[in-house]
Amino acid sequence: MASQVKSRWADDEEDTALEAQRRREKELKKQAKADRQRKVQEEENLRKQNAATATDDSINGHDGVNGESERPSKRRRLSPEQDTATIEPVPVKLLRFPASEWGPCRHVDNFEKLNHIEEGSYGWVSRAKETATGEIVALKKLKMDNANDGFPVTGLREIQTLMASKHENIVALREVVMGDKLDDVFLVMDFLEHDLKTLQEDMLDGFSPSEIKTLLLQLTSAVEYLHSNWILHRDLKTSNLLMNNRGQMKVADFGMARYYGDPPPKLTQLVVTLWYRAPELLLGTEKYGAEIDLWSVGCILGELLTKQPLLQGKNEVDQLSKIFELCGIPTEAAWPGFKRLPNARSLRFPNTSQTTGAVIRAKFPLLTAAGTSLLTSLLSLNPAQRPTAKEALTHPYFREDPKPKSTAMFPTFPSKAGQEKRRRIASPSAPKRGDAPRIAGEAADFSDIFANRDDEEVGGGFALKLI
Amino acid sequence: MAPEPDQLSSLSNPLTTIEQLSTSSSQLDRVPADLESSLRFAGAQLTQAAGILLRLPQEIIAQAIVILYRFYVGSEGGSFRINAVKDISAASLYMTAKISFLPQSTRSILNVYAYLLSPTSPLRQPLETSTKPDPESYYLSEGSYQTARVTLLQTESILLRSVSFITQVTIPHHLALTYLQTLGALPPTSTPKSTALAARTIAHLNTALLSPQLLYLTHQPPALAIAAVYLAAREVGVKLTSAEWWEVFDVDREELGFLVVALGSCEGWIRDEKTRWRDGGCPLASEELEVEIERRERESA
Repeated sequence: MASQVKSRWADDEEDTALEAQRRREKELKKQAKADRQRKVQEEENLRKQNAATATDDSINGHDGVNGESERPSKRRRLSPEQDTATIEPVPVKLLRFPASEWGPCRHVDNFEKLNHIEEGSYGWVSRAKETATGEIVALKKLKMDNANDGFPVTGLREIQTLMASKHENIVALREVVMGDKLDDVFLVMDFLEHDLKTLQEDMLDGFSPSEIKTLLLQLTSAVEYLHSNWILHRDLKTSNLLMNNRGQMKVADFGMARYYGDPPPKLTQLVVTLWYRAPELLLGTEKYGAEIDLWSVGCILGELLTKQPLLQGKNEVDQLSKIFELCGIPTEAAWPGFKRLPNARSLRFPNTSQTTGAVIRAKFPLLTAAGTSLLTSLLSLNPAQRPTAKEALTHPYFREDPKPKSTAMFPTFPSKAGQEKRRRIASPSAPKRGDAPRIAGEAADFSDIFANRDDEEVGGGFALKLI
Repeated sequence: MAPEPDQLSSLSNPLTTIEQLSTSSSQLDRVPADLESSLRFAGAQLTQAAGILLRLPQEIIAQAIVILYRFYVGSEGGSFRINAVKDISAASLYMTAKISFLPQSTRSILNVYAYLLSPTSPLRQPLETSTKPDPESYYLSEGSYQTARVTLLQTESILLRSVSFITQVTIPHHLALTYLQTLGALPPTSTPKSTALAARTIAHLNTALLSPQLLYLTHQPPALAIAAVYLAAREVGVKLTSAEWWEVFDVDREELGFLVVALGSCEGWIRDEKTRWRDGGCPLASEELEVEIERRERESA
């Protein structure tokens, strides 16, 4: 009976060949895995040994167990027992480059989906657990909208830029995994408990000035890192800034990010969520650079200070008018050449010239002079006048009292990315790819945006009244 | 501030593992090792030719070739018998161009490949003949374009999955020029000798792309750049400093020696390849490859 069953399976030659090959492949994989394991182990041992020898180095000599990269230290060579080391030629320490590896993507089945978090501009995000390790990660499914051109270029850029970005304030992409269908692609990223937008909505009094400084420092250093690596984020906003319970903030959602160059290549102007979009983009420029991210940083700073989005335009024209209301009307002197931008030709401005500083200062009465100057410079209409991320990092605002709060001192908050349904406040999402809308001539009349200024509520603090 | 090792990605590439080099998916599929090298070379050559016809910069072409190599490496990689080299070449070039500053339409890519793969194209003809290819033989009708497009986009997804979406490839060309400048070999006003030196260096780096030793998958860009500079300087007759200058650029003597020999051997190997496939060219399409493997198995039996 048993032999019959056996023969039924073993009879087929093709099957055995296939089986053999499968076994061989499996063996190979297993071997590779074991090798890798062993290598890791060896490295670990080596490190431990080195650490151990380093500590009791002064007490006794030892038979130098040196890794290839670890040369014997000078002090060790002085000891008489180290004869072998003295024969060695002058050690030259050459820089070794990190070499990562690649292999086919793993399957998404390695992860167990826990709950849905958020729908971003280019994908769905859910909280998941890696079955093997039990680690909690964020799993983002890429959207395959424009299947006309194959794998969406935005997804490719997101993976490319995230892979290149290794910074403590940028969310880490661990790997890319795939599903059963050819266009099921998931990004495995660090899971963080909060995003800044919902966190702030649920807080009673917002962040304290010292906390705002820490958050802004973290954001600016991430932006500085990106720009120094020639990456534009192009969708900085509070809902894309994630936070953990240790006061650490990480920039996420690179769905709009891309590499840029100098001189800037022709890029689409349809980037950045409307409320955080820089005026030159709204005016239709095709050549822009890192400055647009700094405008968004300015908007985020304003939002952190007032607990609500700074410039909530209903559409492109309304957004521009909100910007001009806050920052003043651009003049040829303050922003040379802005009139030549595609959408600027159809704009009509009031004749009286307004100044910018006064309005921003009035809107943020509790902000110090240094803080106001940083905010004003970030929200310069003329992109050339905005500081670079590097310059912003050294701004006196970060050095004056109250000093930035240490991340360890940050309060913790109940995580909303868990099961609870949360209240959603409507906010626009990042623009979709396609043609940028033109601002029509009729709609763009800004001549009366300051007309009702007297009726407006005056900001808090002290105000003089003329009788 | 000294750069952290993991911040050097703009100077480094992911490299193959020893396991990946020891077996390949194609070999498991009974593709002979020498045919595998030939197919790889033909794929690189095809990609290079297509890139030139599309007027793409060498940076993009080189990246596409490296990604093609990455696809076919290792037992878990792609197999020439399952994914024809012409398809992977087209998908790699299309994808690399897409994320660059010079994206190409599927139509342009497929037109160029239809031309290069036609029986009378310069790539597939014996070396001596110089007849103009017949336009009818490479006309891509709307119907065949649509079919080819579906294949291209599917192959792109397969390619991306096999290289786990690592599209970043650092090429050594710009590094080599920087090294030449640092060594004082490129004066501000170029001399005939300095121009020749730079040209020869770049030529070596482009030749290295075709090497059967997969140099771009086994060595970091700085090492490749140094080897090209070293060899070019010797050939053009420019005396660089007598000290062991390559150590300044973090390349040790052993690696340099290996690469110089590898680069030097490329020329002979490529000449052999050319004469070997002089009639009709290497089997770039699946059907041609099957015929070739069958023929060999019949001969050996």
